[in-house]
Amino acid sequence: MTKRRMFLRMVTASLLRRRSRMLIALLSIGIGSTILAGLVTIYVDVPRQMGAQFRSYGANMLLLPKEDGTLNRESLQAALNTIPADSLVGAAPYCYTRLDMTSRQQSFTAAGTDFDQIQKTSPYFSVEGNYPAKSREILVGREIAETIGVKTGSDMVLTWQPGTTSGSGAADGGRLPGSVLSGQAEGFGGGMVYVTASLDKESRIASLTADTSSQTPEIGGAVPENESFMEQFAGMTLPVRPEDVDVVSGATVTSTAIVNALNTAVATTTAVRPKTLNFNVAGILTTGGEEEGYVFLSLEDMETMTGSDRLDVAELSISASAGQLEEYAELIGESSDSVQARLVKRVTRSEASVLEKLTGLVFLVTLVVLLLTMICVSTTMTAVVSERRREIGLRKALGASDGSIRAEFLGEGLFLGLLGGVMGAVLGFAFAQAVSVHVFGSSIMFQPLLLPAAILVSMTIAALSCLLPIRRAVAIDPALVLKGE
Amino acid sequence: MSLLELKNVSKIYGELKALDNVNIHVDQGEWVAIMGPSGSGKSTMMNIIGCMDKPTSGEVLLDGVDISKESSRKLTDIRRDKIGLIFQQFHMVGYLTAVENVMVSQYYHSMPDEEEALEALGRVGLRERARHLPSQLSGGEQQRVCVARALINHPELILADEPTGNLDEANENIVLDLFAQLHKEGTTLIVVTHDPEVAEAAQRTIVLEHGRVAREIINENFGKS
Ligand SMILES: Nc1ncnc2c1ncn2[C@@H]1O[C@H](COP(=O)(O)OP(=O)(O)O)[C@@H](O)[C@H]1O
Ligand SMILES: [Mg+2]
Repeated sequence: MTKRRMFLRMVTASLLRRRSRMLIALLSIGIGSTILAGLVTIYVDVPRQMGAQFRSYGANMLLLPKEDGTLNRESLQAALNTIPADSLVGAAPYCYTRLDMTSRQQSFTAAGTDFDQIQKTSPYFSVEGNYPAKSREILVGREIAETIGVKTGSDMVLTWQPGTTSGSGAADGGRLPGSVLSGQAEGFGGGMVYVTASLDKESRIASLTADTSSQTPEIGGAVPENESFMEQFAGMTLPVRPEDVDVVSGATVTSTAIVNALNTAVATTTAVRPKTLNFNVAGILTTGGEEEGYVFLSLEDMETMTGSDRLDVAELSISASAGQLEEYAELIGESSDSVQARLVKRVTRSEASVLEKLTGLVFLVTLVVLLLTMICVSTTMTAVVSERRREIGLRKALGASDGSIRAEFLGEGLFLGLLGGVMGAVLGFAFAQAVSVHVFGSSIMFQPLLLPAAILVSMTIAALSCLLPIRRAVAIDPALVLKGE
Repeated sequence: MSLLELKNVSKIYGELKALDNVNIHVDQGEWVAIMGPSGSGKSTMMNIIGCMDKPTSGEVLLDGVDISKESSRKLTDIRRDKIGLIFQQFHMVGYLTAVENVMVSQYYHSMPDEEEALEALGRVGLRERARHLPSQLSGGEQQRVCVARALINHPELILADEPTGNLDEANENIVLDLFAQLHKEGTTLIVVTHDPEVAEAAQRTIVLEHGRVAREIINENFGKS
């Protein structure tokens, strides 16, 4: 038998055969190691856990149209595709306009949105009643509800007036890329000429139709059938200058009226009819913010009223670190030529500071547990040494050098550390899992590195805790065995 | 040839002279008993001879080397190499089996060898009890394990401090027989005892009183009974 085998035999025998004390030492190391491993697991997992938690504080990214771009469902979806699906908590589109309640001579800001998404991006919204589930159902802000006295279940008749579209397109008279314009002008003999033009993405005329039924048949009335006249407008930008247009000879007045109608379509848009719909109030919204002064309706209803699928903004809630968010924002800006992303700094910054405080706290607790474990193990080992005074004296009398005594106690300490570390990794993970499930409501992944790390740490703790007890052991006088103490 | 020589050895604890100018001489292979009333300094002397304590003054020559001024590290080496110890309280490592207790001595000395340890246990008649823990052995059996442990490294000198003090008649005789065998093999034995019968088994008895050598008695009947 080699010396090493005898050493292991003695060390394991000491732990396995003289259970009581060593069990306490093992327990203190094991429990310490368990709490440590659990805390470290939580510490590592906290940013991810809290990331999901933080999403209840609302959106942390906004998508907006670029200066010369359009935000609509397609460009929004394209932008969302650049964000990993599992970190995208929700994306609520918004289209703002003014709606009138003629019966009360009131006018409100109205937002067309997706109610499923709103519940994800703004979980703090509190609704009395229900979120709208069907078309023609609306959500009314508390402020409005109180002003006009509507309740869940009430009916509201709302009217959209053309030219009231807010947002980036409003400044240039509704001459929005991709939109359809209508206009009218006085033609020959006082008859009205109507035109409808659609604009392409660059706000150039894509197609044009005209209604000249009030004009002289075969002359002014035939102008819409004149292909070379009608097609020359394609690609022109509004307003169209009359000198750029080749008029139909013999129908100059009607031709000019078409140009005027086209240009006034931009200036007044009075040709677009007001739209009135009857809505049912599904719920009253309380947020504590400006949303209480809004009326919310589905995007589909909004489109029915305004005839446009233009969006003003989309609020995104993404579970990611501040750094990742910035990356996503940059990616969206680069890959899309119509949509840009902006971070909600107020939210991302407070998230970062809460996270910092939380990880700081966990770190502190870890440190305290580390210290307590060491004190506990050290105390137990000191008790073990004084309990084993005779044995140590005997070993010395039999010729054990100070080095042998040190090695034996350190060996026992390290063995305890090994057992405690394995116990800590297994129980610690279970502990972290339980905390995670109960506190954060989600499970965590096992870090394979946890096992060797826990063993290493608890062996180190055990070794350090043994230093003082070992000094006491080495100082024991072998003569005491002869004195029959 | 002289193995051990104490020259004017004193050990003083404050006012108390535990050993007072002791001069002793033990030859190689000799079997010496040390007697004296309680508190006369027997254990103090054994500690000094056993390299576990140093005298306040005087010289202790073991194998020609003065051990009274050695460092405690050097004393550990000498004790391990030359001395086998047997105690009154038959100290054993409680969580190790009989054979493992014998092997502990081998472990510190050189190499643990289970076969040899079992043989030593066989010599003290405990081969069958080799796998028992001390708590499963009687006092006499434990002391026999201690004898096996003391002789396992073939020490030149065996020091026994009241080895039979806590033993019954039968075990006392077994231990004394073992001592006689060791003596025949040439091992030097110094045995502290209260028991005149144990002292009579030795060649010579040194009587201590108040830390001084009161008298020495040569056992004329040695080897005759
Ligand atoms: N470490 C010590 N400190 C003080 N006095 C001691 C110490 N060791 C022994 N003595 C004293 O020395 C004397 C001799 O003790 P000891 O050698 O144990 O006697 P014995 O073994 O003959 O009974 C006793 O009076 C004892 O009290
Ligand atoms: Mg004594």
